Amino acid sequence: MTSEDISSKYLQVRNLVKYFGDDKAVDNISFGIDEGAFLTLLGPSGCGKTTTLMSIAGLHTINSGAIEVGGLTYTEPSSSIFLPPEKRDIGMVFQSYAIWPHMTVTQNVAYPLEIRKLNKSEIDDRVAETLSLVDLTDMAEKNATQLSGGQQQRASLARAIVSNPRLLLFDEPLSNLDLKLREAMRVELKRIQNEVGITSIYVTHDQSEALVMSDEIIVMSKGNIEQSGEPVEIYSKPNNKYVSNFIGVANLLDAKVEKVTEDGSGEVTVQYGEMTARLPCRIGRGVHQGDEATLSVRPENVHVSRDKTSDSSIEGKVENVIFLGNHVDCRVNWGEYEWKVIAHPRDRLKEGEKIYLRFDSDHTLAVQQ
Amino acid sequence: MTSETYDTDPRPSRMSNRFRALWTQENVITIIVSAIVAIAVVLPLITLVVSSFLVLDDLGFSTEWSFGNYVTIVTDPIIPKAFLNTLIICSGCTVLATFLGVSLAWTNARTNCPGRTWLEPFNLIPFFLSPFIGAIAWHNMGEPKTGLLNNFFRDIFGIEGHVINIDNIWGVIWVTGIFFAPLVYLFVVGSLRRMDPSLEDSARTTGAGLFRTTMTVTLPLVMPGILSGAIIVFVTSAGEFGVPFKLSAPYGWETLTTQIFTKAVGDDANHYLGATMAMALGAITVFLIWIQRRYIAPRSFETVTGKGFRPNVLDLGSWKWVAFGYNILFILVAVILPIISLLIVSLHPVWQGTIMLDKITGINYVKTLFFWREESIDAATNGIFNSLFLAFVGASISMVLALVVSYMIHRTKGFGSWLLDFLCVVPIGFPGIVLAMGVLVTYIQTPIYATLWILLLGYITRFFPYGQRNIASILLSISEELDQSSRMAGATWVTTMRRITIPLLKPGIFAGWILLFVIFVRELSISIMLYTDGTETLAVGVYYLTNYENEPLTAALSLAQTLLCLICMIAFRRLAGKEALSA
Repeated sequence: MTSEDISSKYLQVRNLVKYFGDDKAVDNISFGIDEGAFLTLLGPSGCGKTTTLMSIAGLHTINSGAIEVGGLTYTEPSSSIFLPPEKRDIGMVFQSYAIWPHMTVTQNVAYPLEIRKLNKSEIDDRVAETLSLVDLTDMAEKNATQLSGGQQQRASLARAIVSNPRLLLFDEPLSNLDLKLREAMRVELKRIQNEVGITSIYVTHDQSEALVMSDEIIVMSKGNIEQSGEPVEIYSKPNNKYVSNFIGVANLLDAKVEKVTEDGSGEVTVQYGEMTARLPCRIGRGVHQGDEATLSVRPENVHVSRDKTSDSSIEGKVENVIFLGNHVDCRVNWGEYEWKVIAHPRDRLKEGEKIYLRFDSDHTLAVQQ
Repeated sequence: MTSETYDTDPRPSRMSNRFRALWTQENVITIIVSAIVAIAVVLPLITLVVSSFLVLDDLGFSTEWSFGNYVTIVTDPIIPKAFLNTLIICSGCTVLATFLGVSLAWTNARTNCPGRTWLEPFNLIPFFLSPFIGAIAWHNMGEPKTGLLNNFFRDIFGIEGHVINIDNIWGVIWVTGIFFAPLVYLFVVGSLRRMDPSLEDSARTTGAGLFRTTMTVTLPLVMPGILSGAIIVFVTSAGEFGVPFKLSAPYGWETLTTQIFTKAVGDDANHYLGATMAMALGAITVFLIWIQRRYIAPRSFETVTGKGFRPNVLDLGSWKWVAFGYNILFILVAVILPIISLLIVSLHPVWQGTIMLDKITGINYVKTLFFWREESIDAATNGIFNSLFLAFVGASISMVLALVVSYMIHRTKGFGSWLLDFLCVVPIGFPGIVLAMGVLVTYIQTPIYATLWILLLGYITRFFPYGQRNIASILLSISEELDQSSRMAGATWVTTMRRITIPLLKPGIFAGWILLFVIFVRELSISIMLYTDGTETLAVGVYYLTNYENEPLTAALSLAQTLLCLICMIAFRRLAGKEALSA
């Protein structure tokens, strides 16, 4: 995204830098999103995603850069602008839900409206409406401590959206829930966000959460943005080895770029032990002829067959077969490399047998190391 | 794309925002409170150091700079002995209190001693009472001629002379030992109770017996707690004024505290010499507290691996009745006998060592408590009013400070929070009498000298860290996100404090308030240094009565103070729960 792109966006983060002591937590990042969109900051712990979120919230001060939402500058140290968190008109859902235990669900949800000095009847209406939206109407008079994890989650969301803020922030809100509930809540959260249409930023280290929920994903590492884009783009066209590895499962091989053509395809050679192969593939951004690159192949794009069906097929030995019902996870040994392959159960692969692997050149990508 | 730079167009800086950025409510309050705490804690200590190098000439008018005072405390005929006595008392008290505290905590937490759940609150009662009153009560029981216990033994067993004599250095060790035992108890009982039973079970599976497991696994695991408790007891007993003042000083065993009092207060007071002695005492206690915080507290083994443990309870067999008897005996000598003896003595017009049922009277209560009656004694009347005022106002101000300071240390975490953390430890390292000496030399020439305000200042400075710890422990257990979500909901810092933080901390605030109220109601060693005519406190009233009036009057006022403390204790337990004080 270029700076011109950012300047037309609803939320703009420009050249954000944040230090903790001498550690640079966020290293000069810029991004923007449209009004109503759902953006996910994705990365492992320590990548700066939470720091970025906290900076937008105003719970951290930033060292330099600027954050602007809907024409309102939240913070810009160079102009000595720092809007305290309560002036930013943001709804936020915390990792621990942060439901106040000394209040009922209704009191929790009414709180932002009371702060905004709405009159009593309006507060009652809005609270009732919001609680029904998150499906907590029955729990309205329960004490916060009597709620289950999922219910606290909904109450927390209700409290964040009740005042119809400019921006909705989520700090790993699903990480405390068990797997089943987490999967249900993903869909639920996305539905509610769609319904209220509030611009949202979501922080998570869970790539599948990011893929399911987001309009746009920003993958971060060590305080930098590695790639940003729509989920499909991030998944199918990772910019580099890091992104490819972080999103989904991929076979990542050291490769040398032999040929680059104008339409973005080309050829690479990979060598592991005594095995060598020259494979046609797509060439990722910033990769040039002669470069050392990483070849990224998703397991579902590796096709197995007992006969050699293509010139670029390679021959390997089946090592490990795990039957998982609708598919089979297997490892195929090729030289010193072990391919992760997803096969169909009816292929009836047996451990130790020789097999040919074929790669779809449209789904084989050479990316920066 | 991360390397792209963005041209920020120069915007006019918004003055209102710039102003808001610097002068947030949070920052303003932080700066004010830090300044107050820094001045209150640091100023008296600096003045104390400076004063210790000022030597008063023989006429007592002018001073000069020298190390003379330090020479004096070594060459003086009494002070070195007082120093030695202090060391003997502290060592003896520490050994006794540690033995009592650990054994009681162990029986209550880890054995099947009968009635251990209801025994615990009784074991802790001395924590809330005044050791000075304990000394007075034990004087009534163990004085060679008129002591109740001695008379009892004479009457029942026909023994000539006396069985016990409490009026000496051993009496001081005895009284301070039983009164400070709960300090050690509180340091160890928590980790004994929360100890992962598998640690002991694994010792048992290797073939170690019960006794051996207790000695080689259980006690070593709580050793950091035991050592911390022992050091706190040593420091507390070094600063104890009331007990040696009552039991040993009149009979020739001076201590550093009684010497500081004698030298620094009175007709020919030498504040500078007092300051020097206070420095010597303070240097020892600060050193020990530093050792405790630096080396011992961090070593506490994390024996808690999760909630829901049911610690192994040792079956003592028929020995459990021995444990029960031991526990009851402690409660008897530490709580019940002292209170009964005070009651008996207080009901006599004059105390001569024997109970005279025909002479029973309430006149002592009239004279000490019924302030509206003509015959009421000024020192007692003033003491009641002043102490209630000081305790109420002092506890309230301390808790406000404690709240803000805890918030700054554990939430704001910004500029100066480590300094505040440090400033909150410093007063704990100095005995009350040392800090009072510093307060005295600092403010003696200001208008607050000889008013209640100097007492209030001394109380708050010395004891607000206790309230701070009470709040901090709860604050640490509450997620920061609870505050942050209120800010995100649009509430200012002050509104967040009022509607979220303070309501969540309420039990801790009330419990801390009551704890400070008790401490202030019974406070002696600061009060004795800073009071004048009209600003006596309750403990000073007791001091006055025991010095200038008779034992029955003293006992009456002592009992009143004790009852007040007991009521507060019950309120404290109700509010804070039974684990509240344990480390």
